[in-house]
Amino acid sequence: MSSAQASEPRRAASAPLRLRRAAYLVAALAIALLPYIFTGAYWRTNLIVCALNVMLAIGLDFVLGYAGQLNLGQSAFYGIGAYAATLLAMRLGLPFWIAFAGAVALAGLAGVVLSLFAMRLRGHYLAIASLGFAVITYQVLLNWISLTQGPLGIYAIPPPPALVLPGLPKIDFHDLAHLFHLVAGFALLSYFVLDQLVRSPIGETLTAIREDEVPAAALGINCAAWKVFAFGVGSAVAGAAGGFYAGFVGTLVPDAFFITESFTILAMVVVGGMGSLIGPAAGAILLTVLPELLRGIGDLRLVVYGAALTLVVLFLPGGLLQAARLGVARLMRPDKPR
Amino acid sequence: MTAPAPSALLQARGLCRSFGGVRAVHDITFEMPTGTVFAIIGPNGAGKSTLLNLLSGVLRPDAGTVAFGGADLTDTPAHRRVRHGIARTFQKIRLFKQLSAHDNVVAGCHVHCAIPAWQYVVHGRAFAQNQARCRDEAARLLAFMGLGGRAQVAAGALSYGERRMLEIARALATAPRLLMLDEPAAGLNAGEVEALVDRLQTLRQNGLAVLVVEHNMDLVMTIANRVLVIDYGQPLFEGPPAAVQAHPGVIAAYLGEAR
Amino acid sequence: MTVVLQQVINGVVLGSLYVLVALGLTLVYGVLVQINFAHADIVTLGAFSAYFFMHGIGGGYLPSIAVALAVGAALGWLMNAVIFAPLQKRGSELLPLIATIGVSVMLENAMLAGFGPIPYAFDSPLSNEVIRLGGTFITWQNALIIAVSVATVALLYGFMKFTFLGKALRAVSQDRETAGLMGINPDRVVMLTFVIASALAGMAGAMLGPVLVLTPFAGTSVIVKAFAIVIIGGFGNVEGTILAGLLVGLIESFTTQYLEPGMIDIVVFALLLATLALRPTGLIAERREENV
Repeated sequence: MSSAQASEPRRAASAPLRLRRAAYLVAALAIALLPYIFTGAYWRTNLIVCALNVMLAIGLDFVLGYAGQLNLGQSAFYGIGAYAATLLAMRLGLPFWIAFAGAVALAGLAGVVLSLFAMRLRGHYLAIASLGFAVITYQVLLNWISLTQGPLGIYAIPPPPALVLPGLPKIDFHDLAHLFHLVAGFALLSYFVLDQLVRSPIGETLTAIREDEVPAAALGINCAAWKVFAFGVGSAVAGAAGGFYAGFVGTLVPDAFFITESFTILAMVVVGGMGSLIGPAAGAILLTVLPELLRGIGDLRLVVYGAALTLVVLFLPGGLLQAARLGVARLMRPDKPR
Repeated sequence: MTAPAPSALLQARGLCRSFGGVRAVHDITFEMPTGTVFAIIGPNGAGKSTLLNLLSGVLRPDAGTVAFGGADLTDTPAHRRVRHGIARTFQKIRLFKQLSAHDNVVAGCHVHCAIPAWQYVVHGRAFAQNQARCRDEAARLLAFMGLGGRAQVAAGALSYGERRMLEIARALATAPRLLMLDEPAAGLNAGEVEALVDRLQTLRQNGLAVLVVEHNMDLVMTIANRVLVIDYGQPLFEGPPAAVQAHPGVIAAYLGEAR
Repeated sequence: MTVVLQQVINGVVLGSLYVLVALGLTLVYGVLVQINFAHADIVTLGAFSAYFFMHGIGGGYLPSIAVALAVGAALGWLMNAVIFAPLQKRGSELLPLIATIGVSVMLENAMLAGFGPIPYAFDSPLSNEVIRLGGTFITWQNALIIAVSVATVALLYGFMKFTFLGKALRAVSQDRETAGLMGINPDRVVMLTFVIASALAGMAGAMLGPVLVLTPFAGTSVIVKAFAIVIIGGFGNVEGTILAGLLVGLIESFTTQYLEPGMIDIVVFALLLATLALRPTGLIAERREENV
C-alpha cells in the first residue's frame, strides 16, 4: 500500500445525519417511481432482480466487508430461504408471511450452524467450508426428491397475497410494479437495519475482528460469538431474498442456487467496494443492469463478472466506492499534482 | 489452594507451559498488589512473552493457576479476562492499521458498553450517550498518551513511538485494573522512554497495577516496585530493583557463560 | 470378493487422479499460503489442449499429455506473474483467493462460450483395451493413470529431497523470510512451484479427459474433491495429500457402487466438514502454532 493511501484511515462512513436522512428519502422516492418510469414486464422484472441482488450483496458484505469472513455459501442461504418459504406455505399450508418469517429464521439458523464450524478456522478454511456447505445444500436440493421434487422443480408458486389496507385500493402482487415496491422496500429496510448496526459499536467490533482478532480479544471482544452473529444476520437477509424470489419467479429449481450464484454475489460486493454498505448495493445494481444494457453479450455475462472481479481486486481493491472517492477528490483539487 | 493475600491483585501459582518437548515456562509463582509496577526481566528466550500470554489468557497453562482479584481465571478465555480488568499490549505491535488512532482507542471502549439491544438498530438516547462517552474517553486517553493531534491519522501511518503509545491508550480504554505491557520501551529513544515512565508513574498513582515485561534496565530500575528475573522459563530471583542488580545469578544469566 | 477388489482398483485409479490435482494445490499452499481457485480450470484446459492436439491436429495420445503439461505450466507461470506475485506485496490474506475466483469464473464461462456445453468425446486409444487380473479388469488408460501418478509422486519426492531447488521449496514453505536471508530467492521458488503445480494439473486433465466427461466444467467436478483432499490431508502436507487422495478415491468408488452416485459429493463433503470441525489442520498434518 502506498504511504499516501496509508495515511487515509478507513473510517465508518461519516456522512452527517441530515444527509443520510435525505438519501433515504431519495431512495424511497426512487423506489416508488422507478416501475412507472421503466414500464413493461422486462424492465420491471430486472428491477426486482436488482432489489433481490442488493439484499444478497449487503448480506454478504456484512460478513465479508465488516467481519472479514469470506463466506462462499450465500447461494445456499438464498436457496434455503426460497425452498423453506415455498414448502412451508404449500406443504404445511402456512400463510405467506408466516412461511416467510420461517424461511428467514431457517436461513439465519443455517448461517449460525455454518459459522459454528468456522469458529476456529482461518480465512481459507472458512472459505472452503462455506463452499462445501453450498455444494452440499445444492446436492440435497437436487437429490431429496420427495421434499423438493429435485430437478423437476416446484411450479405455480403464488406471489405474496394481496394487501388490503383501509381506504386504499387492493394491492395485488401479481402486478410487477407492486411486487417491486414490496421487495425493494424490504431491501431498503434491510439496508437501513444493517446501516444502523454498522454505525454502532457492533460495526466497530466487527471491524476490529476483521483487522486483527488477537488484539480484538485483548480488548474484550468475543470474536467467535460476533462472527456467528454476523453470519446469522447475513444469511437471514439472504433467506429473505429467497423468500421473495420464489413468489416472484413462480418456479423453483435447484439450479438457481448453484455455487456460481455465490461467486456472482461475491463479484457484486467486491466490485462495489467492500468497505461500506453503499458500495455493494451499487455493485449489485450495476452488475445486474449492465449485462442487460450490453445486450449482445448475453452468454458472456459471467465472463464479464469474472473479469470485473479479478480486475477490481488487482487494480482497484476498494471497488466503485474507491473510484468514486478518488473521482471526488480529483474534482475538489484539480491543481494538486499526484 | 491457599487464599490469596488480601492486598494481592494478581496471583500466579506454579505456572507451567511447554511447546512440543520444550519447557517455555516452568513453575513460575508470584503476586502483585494494586497500585504497583511489577517488572519481569530475563535474557532473550527466557519465556517472558509466554508468561504474559499465560496471564492474559492467550495460552492455557499445562499446570498452575492464575487468580485475579480473588477470582480463579485459569480457565477463563482471554476476552473474558478483560471484563475482570486485565488489559495488555503486544511485543510486536498489533494495532488496527487501517483504522484511525481514534477508532483504535474507541474499539477498546465497547467492552463496558451498556446499551439495550434494540438501540443498536434504533439509535436512542442511551446509544447517543454511550457514543459520546466513548468519544470523550478516547480523546482523553489519546491526549494523555501524547497523541492528541494525531487522532485522525491511520494507525499504520503513525511513527513507531506513536504506535507504541497508541497501543497503551487502546488498552487503557478498557478501564483495566491491571495493565500488562510487553516490552513497551522496545525501539523507543531516550526521550520517549522518559515520557513513558512519566505516564506509568501517573497511572500507578491513580491506583492502576502495571506489569511490565522489559529489557530496558533504565525503565525497570526507575519505575519498578518489584522485579522478577526469569531464565530458561524458571524463576531466578524476585525482589526490589536494587537487589536484582547485585545478584550474581542474574549477572551470570545476562552476561552468560558459554552455552 | 472380486466386486470389492474391482472397487478398490477403481478407487485407486480415481484417487491417483485426484492426487495429481490436489498435489498442485497443496504445493502452492505450502510456499505461498494461498489457494489458487483457478486450479480446476487448468485441469480443464489441459484436457482440452490434449483433445485438440489429438483430434484437431492428429497427434498421438502420449504426446498430447506432454502438450497438456506444457499448457498447464504456462498457465501457472502466467497466473503467478499476473495475480499472486503482485498481490503478495499487499499482504492480504483473502484478496488473491478472491482474484482467482474471478479468473476461474472468467475461464469457465469463456470456455463455455467457446466450446459449448455438450461433452466432447475424448477417446484415448487406451480406453478400450483391457487387462484382466483374475476376476477384475483394468483398462490400459487406468493403468497408465496409476503408473504416471506413481512416477510423478516418486519424481516429486526425489526432487524435494535431493535437489537444491526442491530443498529451497521446502525452505520457503517453512519460513519464507529466513529462506530469503539464506540466499534463496523466494519469488523464483514460488514461480517454480506454480509452474510445477499447474503442469501437474494440466497433465491430470489430459488423463482425465477420457475417463470423465469433457466439458468446460470437467475441472470443477474434480476441484471440489481436490479441496476436500487437501484439507483432509492437511494444507501443505504432501504425504497427507497422497493418502487423503487415495482415501477419497476409494470412498467415491464404493459410494458409487453401494449408494447412489449423487451421494458422492455429500459423503465427501460431510467428511470434509467433519475434518474441519474436529481437526482443522488435517487428519495427518502437524499443528502450526500461531505466534503472538
